[in-house]
Amino acid sequence: MKRKLALAALGVASAVALAGCASGAPAEDSTGDIRVWLVGADTPQDARDYLKTTFEEENPGSTLTIEEQQWTGLVDLLTTSLSGSDSPDVVEVGNTQAPAFTSAGAFLDLSDEYDALGGDDLLPGFVAAGSYDGKFYAAPYYSGSRVVFYNQAMYEAAGVSVPTTLDEYVSNAEKLKAATGVSGVYWPGKDWYNALPFIWENGGEVAVQNSDGSWDAQLSSDASVAGLEQVQAVMNTSTAAKDGDESNAWVPFREEQAATLSAPSWAYWSIVADEDQKPTALTDNLGYFALPGKDGGAAQVFAGGSNIAVSAKSAHPELAKKALAIMLSDDYQSILAANGLVPAKVSLGDKTAGATPELAAVIAEAAANAKLTPASPKWADVEAAQILQDLFVQIANGGDVASLAADADQKIEAILNG
Amino acid sequence: MSTLAPARGLPPRRAAGPLRRLLRGPWLLLIPAAVVVLALTGWPLIQLVIMSTQEFGRAQIFGAPPEFVGLGNYLDVLGDPAFWAVLGRSVLFAGANVLATMGLGIAIAVLLTRLARVMRTVVSIGLLLAWAMPPLSATVVWGWMFDTRAGVVNYLLSQLPGVDLIGHSWLFEPLSFFFVATVIITWQSVPFVAITVYAGLTQVPGEVLEAAQLDGTNGWQRFRLVTVPFVRPVLLVLLMLQIIWDIRVFTQIKALQTIGGVQEQTTTIGVYIYTVSTAGGNLGAGGAIAVILVLLMIVPAVLYIRSTLRQEES
Amino acid sequence: MSAAVSSRTGAGGVPAASPGAPSRRRPRRRGLGGRIVLNVLAVIVFVASVFPVYWMVNSALLSPGSVRDSTPHFWPDTFTLGNFIGVITEPSGSIEFLPALGMSLLVTLSTVVAALLFAFLAAVALARFRFVGKRGIVIAVLVVQMVPVEALVVSVYRVLDGWQLLNTALGLILVYTATVLPFTIWVLRGFVAGLPAELEEAAMVDGCSRFGAFWRVTFPLLGPGLAATGVFAFIQAWNEFLYALVIMTRPETRTLPVWLRAFVQATKETDWAAIMAGSTLMAIPVIVFFLIVQGRMASGVAAGAVKG
Repeated sequence: MKRKLALAALGVASAVALAGCASGAPAEDSTGDIRVWLVGADTPQDARDYLKTTFEEENPGSTLTIEEQQWTGLVDLLTTSLSGSDSPDVVEVGNTQAPAFTSAGAFLDLSDEYDALGGDDLLPGFVAAGSYDGKFYAAPYYSGSRVVFYNQAMYEAAGVSVPTTLDEYVSNAEKLKAATGVSGVYWPGKDWYNALPFIWENGGEVAVQNSDGSWDAQLSSDASVAGLEQVQAVMNTSTAAKDGDESNAWVPFREEQAATLSAPSWAYWSIVADEDQKPTALTDNLGYFALPGKDGGAAQVFAGGSNIAVSAKSAHPELAKKALAIMLSDDYQSILAANGLVPAKVSLGDKTAGATPELAAVIAEAAANAKLTPASPKWADVEAAQILQDLFVQIANGGDVASLAADADQKIEAILNG
Repeated sequence: MSTLAPARGLPPRRAAGPLRRLLRGPWLLLIPAAVVVLALTGWPLIQLVIMSTQEFGRAQIFGAPPEFVGLGNYLDVLGDPAFWAVLGRSVLFAGANVLATMGLGIAIAVLLTRLARVMRTVVSIGLLLAWAMPPLSATVVWGWMFDTRAGVVNYLLSQLPGVDLIGHSWLFEPLSFFFVATVIITWQSVPFVAITVYAGLTQVPGEVLEAAQLDGTNGWQRFRLVTVPFVRPVLLVLLMLQIIWDIRVFTQIKALQTIGGVQEQTTTIGVYIYTVSTAGGNLGAGGAIAVILVLLMIVPAVLYIRSTLRQEES
Repeated sequence: MSAAVSSRTGAGGVPAASPGAPSRRRPRRRGLGGRIVLNVLAVIVFVASVFPVYWMVNSALLSPGSVRDSTPHFWPDTFTLGNFIGVITEPSGSIEFLPALGMSLLVTLSTVVAALLFAFLAAVALARFRFVGKRGIVIAVLVVQMVPVEALVVSVYRVLDGWQLLNTALGLILVYTATVLPFTIWVLRGFVAGLPAELEEAAMVDGCSRFGAFWRVTFPLLGPGLAATGVFAFIQAWNEFLYALVIMTRPETRTLPVWLRAFVQATKETDWAAIMAGSTLMAIPVIVFFLIVQGRMASGVAAGAVKG
C-alpha cells in the first residue's frame, strides 16, 4: 500500500516535471501574453494603444495586456505580486518607491540593455533611483513637473509682479494675503513636495550619505531651517487646512480663494474648467511661472515621476524587455511628452507640451532643475511613516521649526540607518 | 480522545466501535472548519511567528535567505518608546469605543423590544443602512462631513449664534481626531451589537418575565435579574469581539489619516503594524508586534473562556 | 416545523408555551408619555443612523460641480442620474462595474454559505460535547481573531500561490471563509448553548439520529443567530479590500471594493459625486440580502418564542 502510494507520487512528480519541460522551455520567450502594469491615469490612452499595437506587430503570436493599478496600496501589491507565480511582466513604480524593490531583487537586471534603452540620455536622477549596487534595474518612465499658477487680477490689485527670487516669492505671499484677504499661496500642510525647493535653495538637504554609507539627516542644519522658516512664512498666508493634503487644491484656487497655487502642470486643465466643464473665474485670468530660485532663475524642484522595470519572476523576460524597449522608444516617449509629461530622455525634453507654448516653456524650465529625494532603499519607509507630512503639518500649525526639524532628523536617521 | 459524554444526560445509545464513536463525536463536526482555518490562518500564523524571530524584509520575500535573530525583533520593539505610546493609545481608544458601542448597542436593543412593530422595522432598517455602508465610503462621507472647508458639521454648528467653526480642523488635535474616529466606528458597530443583542433578547422566555412581574419586580430588576443572565453568553461574546476589533482597528484610522491629522500622534496598533511590516517592509518586526499584541490579549481571553466554559458545564 | 417543535418541546418536559406567550413583544401597557419618549428615542436613533447614508445618496444625485459647494446642498436640487450611469458604464481604471459586481456576489455568497455551514457544525461540537482539547480549541478560535490581517497578508498570499489559487474565486472564498469562521463559530456557539438540549433529546426519542436532531431541530431554531452571523459574514466579505487587492490582480477578477478604491483615484480630480454613486451601488446588495434574511430572522424569532 505504502509502496504503491510512493510510486504514484513519484509518477505524478515526474509528470509535472516533464510537463514543465515540455511546455515551459520551448515556449519560453517565443510567444506569450505580456502583462504590463501601469499605475493611475497618467499614461495617456494614445500611448497605451501605441504600445499594444507596436508590440503585437513586432512579436507575432504574442499579446500584450495593460492592467491599470492604483497608487494606494501599490507597495503592498507589488511586494506580493512580484514574488508570486502569477507575476506581471512589466511594472511601473513610483520613483521614490523604486529603491525598495531594486534592492530586494524584485526586478530583472537591465544593465546590458542600458545603452540600447537610451544610455546617458536617460533622466539621471531616475536612473539613480532605479539602480542598486552598480546594476541597472528600473528605467526612467516619465517625470512630472510643478508650475506656479497665479491669479493675474489679484496680483495686479495687490501691486505685486511675478517674483524673480525665492525671497520675493515669500514676501509677495504676505502682501497678497494682506491685500486680498484670501490665501497668498494656497498650501495644505501635508504637501511636502512643494516645501523641498525651499530647503534646497537655501543650501540645505533632506539627508546626505556619509563616506561609511550611513545617512545623516540634515533638516535641522542652519541652511535647512532657514528654508523651513520660509516655508512656515508662506504657509501662514494660506487658508488651506493645516493638516489637509494637496488633492483638489485647484478647487479653492479657481474659486478665487487663493492668489497663488503651486501644483503639477496638468492642474492647468482643472483650473480653467470646473467638474461640469464650465469656465471658471480663472479661465481668462490665469498666469504661471516656474518657482524662482534663491538667486534668480528656476528653483530646484522635486521631480515626481515613475520608473519602469521587468519583474524578476516574469515568465517571458525577453518579451518583457521588448515591451519595455517600446516604452522607452522616442516615438512612445514623444506621445507622453505631447500629453504634458516630461519624457524619460533628456533629448526629448523640449517636446513636453503645455496647454500653451508659454506653459510648455515654464514646464521645461522647471524640469531642467529637478531634484530627487535621498537615493536610499529605505527612503520608501520614511515616506510610509509619513515623517515629512507630519513635520510640515506641524510647521503649518505654527510649531517651532528648529525643534521639529531636529525631531524629524532623528526619525529619518533611525529608518535610513536602521 | 473524545469522552463523548453527552452534555446533558442524553439517553444512552447502542454501544459502538471506537472508530464509529470518534466519527460520531465532535471531531467530525469540527473537521470542515478546522481544515479551512488551519490552512489559511493557522499555517500563516506559524509563518508569522517564525518570521518574527528572523531578520525578514523585502529581500527575503524575494528569496534571500532570512537570518535568525532570536528575540532580537522583540527586544527592539519592546525597547522602542514609540511602540508603547502606540499601545497605550490603542488601549485607551479601544476602551472608549467598546464602552460606547456596547452601551449604545444594548440600549438600542432594549428599545427595539419595547417598540411597536412599525417603529421597530423603521429603526432596524436605519441600523441596517448604517451597517451596510462600505467602511471606505463611510469614512469618506464622515471625513467629508467633518471637512475643514466645506464640511456640513462646521456649516451647521456655525449656524448657531456666536459659533464660527468655518475652517476648523477636527483632525489636527489628537483628541479631536479620536473623537471623530470614535463617532465613525461606533456608528458602524452599534447596529451589529444592537441587532445581535436584540436577537438574544427575543429568546428570553416570556413567561419567566411574567412570573417575575407577578412577583412584584420592577422593569429594571427584571432586566437585571432575568434578561441579562439569559443573554449573558451573547453579551460576553460581543464584548470580547468588540475589544479585539477595536484594538486592531485599521481602515477608519488609516483613511482619516489621509484626510488630516498628524500620523505620529494618531497611529493605533493596527496602523502601526501595517506601517512597519507591509509599507515599511520589515516583516520581522511587524510579526513581533503582532505576536506581542496577541499575547497581551490572550490574558483577558483565557479568563473569559474559563468563566464561560465553567458556567456552561456546571 | 414550529408546530412539530412545540409538541416535542412539550414531550421533552419543557413547559409548553401558551399561544399568547410572547406578550412582552407587544408593547406593554404604558402611559402615553412613555410611548412618546420611546418613539422620540427611536426617531433619534433612526436619524443618527441614516443621516450619513442620506448624505451619500444625496451627493450621488447632485451634479459633480455642486457637490463641494461651500453652502451644502441638503437635498438633490441639481438632480442628475449621470453619476450612476457613468459609474456603471465607464470602467474605473481597467475594472468594469458589472464583472466586478458578479465576482463580488459569487465570492460573498459562497463565503456566507460555507461559513454558516461549517460554523454551525463546529458550534454544535463546542456547545454540545465534552471532550479533551475543547478548551484549547475554544481559545484557539478566539486567538486567531486577534491576529491583525495586515500582518498575515504576505503569508496567506504564499499559501494560495503554492496551491495555484491566485486570481481564482475559490482562493478568495477560502480566505474569506477562514477569516469569518472564528467569529461565526463564536456567535453560533453562544446561540446553541442558549438552546435547551432537551429539544434534541426529544427528537432523538422520536427516532432522529443525533446529527439528525442537530440538523432538523437545532439548526432551524438558530434563525436569529444564523441571520445575524450571515449578515456579518456577508458584510465582511463584501467590503474586504486588502486580500482582494493582492490576491485578485487581474482586471477580470477584481471585486467591488477594489473597483471603488480605483474610482477614488482613477481620475486626477476626485469626483466625489461618482464616488458616492459607487458607494451607493455597493451598499444596495447588502441591503437586499438583509431584507431577505430579515424574514428568516422574524420566523426564527417566532420559533424562539414557541420554544420558550
